[in-house]
Amino acid sequence: MSAVAPGTLDLGKLFAARLHAARVRPYLATALFALHTVESRRVPTMAVDRYWRCYVSPAFVDRTPVEELAGVWVHEVSHLLRDHHGRGDRAARLQGLNGPGARLRMNIAADCEINDDVFGDGLVMPEGAVTPEALGLCGGELMEDYLRRFGLGPLTHNLVWLDCGSGADGMERDWDLGPDGAHGLSEQEQDAVRFRVAQGINGRPGHTPKGWKRWAEDAFHPPQPWRELLGAAVRSAASGAGAGEDYSYGRPSRRSACLPGVVLPSLRRRPPRVSVVIDTSGSVSDAELGSALLEVAAIAQALGGRRDLVTVVPCDAAARIVHPLCEGEGIPLLGGGGTDLRAGFARALGQGPRPDVIVVLTDGQTAWPAVRPPCRTVVGVFDRPERARWDEDDPDYVPDPTPAWARVVSVGSSASSR
Amino acid sequence: MTVNPPVPSQLDVAGELLALLRETTTEPRPDNQLEALTLAVAADLPVLLWGEPGIGKTAALTQLAAALDLPLTTVIASVHEPSDFSGLPVVGDDPAEQGVPMAPPDWAVRLVRAGRGLLFLDELSTAPPAVQAALLRLVLERRVGALQLPPGVRIVAAANPRSSAADGWELSPPLANRFVHLQWAHDHEVVVRGLGGTWPRATLPRLDARALPAAVEHARRAVCEFLTVRPPLVHRLPSGETRRGGAWPSPRSWDMTLRLIAFATAAGSSREVLSMLVRGTVGDGPALELLAALDRMELPDPEVLLADPAGAELPERGDRRQAVLDGIVSAVCRRPEKSRWDAAWTIMVRALETGAPDLVVVPATSLAALRREEWDVPAAIERLAGVVDLSRRADLAAERTADRTGARVGAGR
Repeated sequence: MSAVAPGTLDLGKLFAARLHAARVRPYLATALFALHTVESRRVPTMAVDRYWRCYVSPAFVDRTPVEELAGVWVHEVSHLLRDHHGRGDRAARLQGLNGPGARLRMNIAADCEINDDVFGDGLVMPEGAVTPEALGLCGGELMEDYLRRFGLGPLTHNLVWLDCGSGADGMERDWDLGPDGAHGLSEQEQDAVRFRVAQGINGRPGHTPKGWKRWAEDAFHPPQPWRELLGAAVRSAASGAGAGEDYSYGRPSRRSACLPGVVLPSLRRRPPRVSVVIDTSGSVSDAELGSALLEVAAIAQALGGRRDLVTVVPCDAAARIVHPLCEGEGIPLLGGGGTDLRAGFARALGQGPRPDVIVVLTDGQTAWPAVRPPCRTVVGVFDRPERARWDEDDPDYVPDPTPAWARVVSVGSSASSR
Repeated sequence: MTVNPPVPSQLDVAGELLALLRETTTEPRPDNQLEALTLAVAADLPVLLWGEPGIGKTAALTQLAAALDLPLTTVIASVHEPSDFSGLPVVGDDPAEQGVPMAPPDWAVRLVRAGRGLLFLDELSTAPPAVQAALLRLVLERRVGALQLPPGVRIVAAANPRSSAADGWELSPPLANRFVHLQWAHDHEVVVRGLGGTWPRATLPRLDARALPAAVEHARRAVCEFLTVRPPLVHRLPSGETRRGGAWPSPRSWDMTLRLIAFATAAGSSREVLSMLVRGTVGDGPALELLAALDRMELPDPEVLLADPAGAELPERGDRRQAVLDGIVSAVCRRPEKSRWDAAWTIMVRALETGAPDLVVVPATSLAALRREEWDVPAAIERLAGVVDLSRRADLAAERTADRTGARVGAGR
């Protein structure tokens, strides 16, 4: 069809494939066109580096049909858009993964993250592409999650030739042109391309697959681990002015000696009292409750060092009893049925010395107090996007939004290590 | 009496060893973090360095102070009492008559006497909230007790990120809005090479005195043009737990952005440095939008290209080239004239001859659709045959894809 000498790169075919890819995935066009093509005979198929160069093997282009090449284009650009090299480096650092074997696993995990939702709808999956199913895993997860699920073994032995380049796993290849080579994109330029792609997706989410939408939403604000967020929220609520640390005239300041006749206050630490209101309605699972409660107890303990200052109020439609945490692990989280956390708030505020901080753990399907409670409030909402929030009796039921006076942290496994 | 030969004491030997360990050299090395910090300090904006403990924030400050020739005053916020920043009461002879003056601490007095200096507030995040409240006044009003810090004093603060801060303090939105937030990270290579005896010596940006008016012009135009088309970004309080304590856009932080763009332009700084500064002032989202707008500002103007199609210089990078070609098509669309249409075809041919053909397809198709009946097809269009061929190949691939997926659905289910 085209007059290209054998052994040289058939640019016409390669660019026809890119055009096809850009037509079926218009939101990726900017990123696809930003790639700089480099002919390379040492690459097994196509590979990218972290400076957005795309190395292409002429033999691979010759033997692959245009429609499959288009799939490879999208696959390779996805590695770069999703920052697999940066995330691979982070995973290597955090989990101590070193050496070519670990990087091959990263490449496979990254491929799984891409391949589980990028094909179809006008794009053919290239021959030999790795899917989570082929490794016996469920789809729809992130690279970091896949990475923990499999090792190199019989299922992966036919993947050892797989190589998407340093852009996919962060390990330098000998064919890489490196940071000083021509036509590389600087980090800021890469961010700009990612941003334009994300904007394109967010602006017209219509037919975009779910994986890309998720990526676009998180591209510049990756979800933070909820443990840290909840910890920071509880700590800052408990150490804010008025709770915890404050000035007291109960003891003289250490500076009083040099200022006779002047009464100076001194900074005193009063451990904050923390009340944890737990939504025990049927919709919250025990595992979720357990992990969150442990977290709150650990934080509160670190703050005050006194477990007796932490109390727990189980609450469904009514709040029953207030338990001090020092009673041990045996707090009966009774409940089930509907939720009305207003009762829990009333109960928590009604105890002897009033708490300095109220921490609420709930799934959000509740009514909230109309007025701001007289202490700081942190709300941990169990985030379960897959289960729609609904009510059997009332199909139009929409739960109240979390109140503006509370600090809200979404708690759940979905905001994982990314 | 016999004179003993002097036996070197163990401490002297230790001193020798220490001297040997201190013998390090430096090598010049570009450092974007330090360049961003220098520009922000030069622009007289308070900077907040976010970084894990022990990664060399203090060392960077020492280097910066030496480079700017400013005396460095370090105040560890967490070991002070609030009265150290709001002033210590000193009782005189007759307090009821003369009042009780609030005396400033000695470091503030020395700073005022020197008239200039770099004040480094370290460990901001581990200071108790009451101390932070007192520091607020120092940063915002530059006052310590009754003392006003002179304008020659620059303030830099450092804080540990929330994940590693023991006390979990965070900035309130008003305070966060007044800082340029710089993320401080260590460079693995630099650390290893430094421990081996060679530390980097950053080449600091120099402001070009002749470029100043143009820099101000450029900065004003960039920010104003951007905010004209994106009014919601002028003021947006941070929402959500993840974005707390960071930079967010407000008229104040846009003013800071404008100042920083002017400084970065006058110093000829790279895009990386500018990106760090702008993201640290108005936050990631608005900053990336502004930077994208700056990119567009720097693309060649379609009207200029249409006026001289033969000498048109197109950007090398594919995505930017495509943006220019799209711009040309929409310029012709806005004012369709035969001469402009012809000029646009000339540019399309140029684009085809100098770069990847696939990105010419869409603009060329849209340009063809703009044709009026009375316009003759220009001769140049024949040279676009390759584009048509490419487009046909992509069409065929699309058809085959449809066949294959259709067949697969039929067979599989």
